Amino acid sequence: MFEITPTEWTAIALSLRVATVATLVATPIGIALAWLLARREFWGKSALDAAIHLPLVLPPVVTGYLLLLTFGRRGLIGGWLADHLGIVFAFRWTGAALACGVMSFPLLVRPIRLSIEAVDRRLEQAAETLGAEPWRVFATITLPLALPGVLAGMVLGFAKAIGEFGATITFVSNIPGETQTISSAIYSLIQTPDGDTAALRLVSVSVVMAMAALVGSEWFARRATKRLHGH
Amino acid sequence: MVSLARVLAAFALLCGWAFSPAAAEDSNLVVFAAASMKNALDDVDAAYTAKTGVKIAASYAASSTLAKQIEQGAPADVFVSADTDWMDYATAKKAIKDATRVNLLGNSIVLVAPKDSKTAEVAIGPGFDLAKLAGDGKIATGDVTSVPVGKYAEAALEKLGAWQAAAPKFAMAESVRAALALVARNEAVLGIVYSTDAKVEPGVKIVGTFPADSHPPIVYPVAATVTAKPGAADYLAFLRTSAAKAIFERYGFKFLVSPTT
Amino acid sequence: MVRAARHQAAARALIMLRVEVSKQLGELAIEAAFESAGLVTGLFGASGAGKTSLINMIAGLSRPDRGIIAIDGEVLDDTKGRVHVPAHRRRIGYVFQDMRLFPHLDVRQNLDYGRRMNRLTEDPAQRARVTELLDIGHLLDRRPGRLSGGERQRVALGRALLARPRLLLLDEPLGSLDEDRKAEILPYLRRLRDEAMIPMVYVSHDADEMRQLATQVVVLRRGRVNAFGGAEVLPAAL
Repeated sequence: MFEITPTEWTAIALSLRVATVATLVATPIGIALAWLLARREFWGKSALDAAIHLPLVLPPVVTGYLLLLTFGRRGLIGGWLADHLGIVFAFRWTGAALACGVMSFPLLVRPIRLSIEAVDRRLEQAAETLGAEPWRVFATITLPLALPGVLAGMVLGFAKAIGEFGATITFVSNIPGETQTISSAIYSLIQTPDGDTAALRLVSVSVVMAMAALVGSEWFARRATKRLHGH
Repeated sequence: MVSLARVLAAFALLCGWAFSPAAAEDSNLVVFAAASMKNALDDVDAAYTAKTGVKIAASYAASSTLAKQIEQGAPADVFVSADTDWMDYATAKKAIKDATRVNLLGNSIVLVAPKDSKTAEVAIGPGFDLAKLAGDGKIATGDVTSVPVGKYAEAALEKLGAWQAAAPKFAMAESVRAALALVARNEAVLGIVYSTDAKVEPGVKIVGTFPADSHPPIVYPVAATVTAKPGAADYLAFLRTSAAKAIFERYGFKFLVSPTT
Repeated sequence: MVRAARHQAAARALIMLRVEVSKQLGELAIEAAFESAGLVTGLFGASGAGKTSLINMIAGLSRPDRGIIAIDGEVLDDTKGRVHVPAHRRRIGYVFQDMRLFPHLDVRQNLDYGRRMNRLTEDPAQRARVTELLDIGHLLDRRPGRLSGGERQRVALGRALLARPRLLLLDEPLGSLDEDRKAEILPYLRRLRDEAMIPMVYVSHDADEMRQLATQVVVLRRGRVNAFGGAEVLPAAL
């Protein structure tokens, strides 16, 4: 009952890889956009904010389909990427990472934005008077002080990416070894006669991974906060 | 304080692992097959891997879903469809190597109920009242507008004059296996699935068989895609051997071609 | 080394700060013009008179609606000519009333921050001089959270100094301290004035403090310069 089959291991390993890549790539973009939203006023700001939160409110299948239209082999961007750079997303694990990254992006950006907003701008001003250019103020003062929020956002995003299903299966389908993540594997298993035991195994693995991610992040964030206040 | 250098080093390591080329080797084949093929084809694929060492990654879903994915550029080497319509569709989209196409298997559709159901066996013929049999419950099958089993079911019921009354009671699932699961879990009182599906699901029992002339013949064509790897030809040949035939027939499929050894 | 000498020479040459600005801040209309060439120019006035707003403009942290700010002929702000040198390029140090030490860095790193940001070479001799001047040598490994109010203010002073500014702004540095702490820090400020040789603009509402430190005083009242001169323009000692 507790023997994890090779197919299941493949799905677990793929989920971890997809979620890791999605989070690693999304984080710098998320930090940049969170900073923009937290510290700058500009024309189109609320539109940008809304666009970032779109994957939260759109049905995942819709997001997956939009990804297909944009990044599929015949998509606006996907076609160009495939023909000129040989980069293919549709039906590849890279596409799964893209789908998971897009779906988890709002959850990543929010805590980061909040923690950047919480950084005392007076400290940033002090840094300016000490000769720090804006990007150095960001790198040496804002980002380190916002770190707990960044970590929280990353873990939340990672957990969402591990569990993503609707957009992924629409954009990259369900190919074992390439795009069959834990969620898709469970989905296939519950339609397989006698697949319930295996499905439950994978469900338990998902739960354990999610719990580990959440507990790990709490610990991380608390450590970062302690370090900030010099205890 | 966690040094920036250490954080960047960890980041770089993670990137290295995450972005390293995917494990799938080049000789592995990707097969897109109708959902009803799952158990039988898994066994056939295992036999093929044992014989040649080539691993098969099989993606099972409704033939409609698979055909559209192939159209969108999915990296399938072989496509096994549960009806000729969807194979024709993929061919029309220039995704199939027509020369490799073979009508491999046949099947039949049956009426199933949960195994503990009180529903008695019925003879399905003209004047068959499916709606009455279902009572207040739902009848599960694949989506009648796209999924092959749903299309066969609707065709049969139209011919038997039972469609009008029963249509509102239908629970359309996205594949025949999803419909099968609904019945096995007692969420639907009846279901229309392939006889081969009923055979592998202990949670359902067959309560009736649709006459073969009530619907178009159920034919499973198989073909290689235009993007197929060279190894696909050997795999397709294996599907026609008597070894494969024995496995397919064990699961209740009809083998439509003469087997090679 | 050369830089420090240049700074010393400049201070001795008494940097000329020219301010001629207007700014509307809510109900307060700031309309101030003065030129200072002293070692310590005091900005004196009651709270709400506009002192902090004025030095924020000098520092480059805010911009005047109209006017000119120049140091030794170098234009920092000119609304007509559309010139605004950003704060990080002005080399004007600022000691804030609320200190604003970086909580995630220890004292040593706080002190070294300005040097790093300005990409200046290390000057251990100067570092030693400043830490000794302000008596903070024993606090170097501590985090700001572990310092007393007086210690924090001295570190803030040291941090601003070690960025080697050409002008130092101090906004009520004793404002958030109790009487004992004030008495403790005042001598450091006098030492700073006499030994560091960096021109300063010192903001306070306390006439006695001002009398002890400033060489020239600008009196601000409701956003306007009311008087300008030596210590005689301050209200009589109590």
